[in-house]
Amino acid sequence: MEYASIEREIHVEATPEVVYEVISTPEHLQEWWPDEAELEPVPGATGVITFGDRSSPDANVVPLTVLEADPPRRFSFRWAYDQGDVATSTNSFLVTFDLVPAGAGTLLMLKETGFREQGWEAAVLEEHYRDHVTGWDFFLPRLVTYVDRLVSTP
Amino acid sequence: MSVAIDDDLWSAVGDPTRRRMLDLLLTDGAGTATTLSQHLPVTRQAVAKHLGVLDRVGLVRVTPSGRERLYEVDEAQFARAVAQLSSVGAAWDARLNRIKRIAEAIQRSQDG
Repeated sequence: MEYASIEREIHVEATPEVVYEVISTPEHLQEWWPDEAELEPVPGATGVITFGDRSSPDANVVPLTVLEADPPRRFSFRWAYDQGDVATSTNSFLVTFDLVPAGAGTLLMLKETGFREQGWEAAVLEEHYRDHVTGWDFFLPRLVTYVDRLVSTP
Repeated sequence: MSVAIDDDLWSAVGDPTRRRMLDLLLTDGAGTATTLSQHLPVTRQAVAKHLGVLDRVGLVRVTPSGRERLYEVDEAQFARAVAQLSSVGAAWDARLNRIKRIAEAIQRSQDG
C-alpha cells in the first residue's frame, strides 16, 4: 500500500470556534460537502455522509468515523471505506483539519492522506506531468477559474 | 466523490512499470518496446504487453517504425488523466472556500 496526500490551507476571517463548528457539525457540513451528513462530532463516533438524494438508488452513502474532536484546534475523520467495515489506515482516507488562530481569524489547514490506488496513481502522474510537461502552467489557471466559479455560485 | 473517474484509465496507470514507461516516453518523446526495456528491469515481451494496456486506454499512440512499433504519449489523454487528479485537489479547494464563506458569514452575524 502506498500513500499520498493533499495539503491545503486557507485563511478564514472568523474565530477558530466558529470555523470548528462549520467543519464539524452536520448542519454545516452539508452546506460545504455532502448533501446530507449524519454524525456526532465526538471521537469514535461513526456516521454517514450522503451524496445525492437519499431516497434515490443513485445516492452515494459514505461511512465516516471521527478520530479526533478537539475544539477549536483539531477535527479528524476517516471516510470512504466500505459500508459495514471498520475504518482502518488501509481502507480509508484520513482527513485532518487543524485550526490555528491568525490575527482576528483562523488559519485552517487541511490534510487528506491514505489514498488508495487511484489517488496515489494520480499523484504520481501529476508529478510526472509537472516534471516533464509545461502543462501544469496550463492547468493551474483553469483550476483557479473553476474554483472561482464554484465559489461564486450562490 | 462526485468526480467521475475512468476506471480503465486508472488501472492502466495503476502499475508502477507502466508509470515508469510513461515517464520514459515523456522524457524521450517516443520509444519502442526494445528501447524501453533497456531502461526497465523487465523483459521486452513484458514491456510490449504493458504498452498494449496503455494503447487500449489511449494513453499512447503507436506508429510502425521498420520492424518495431514506435510509441508516444497521447498528450490529450494524458492531460485528461492529470485533470482527473487535479479535480481531487480542486474539490478540496472548493470545499475550503465554502467553509470560509460560511464561517465568515456566521462571524459577521455574531459581530453585527
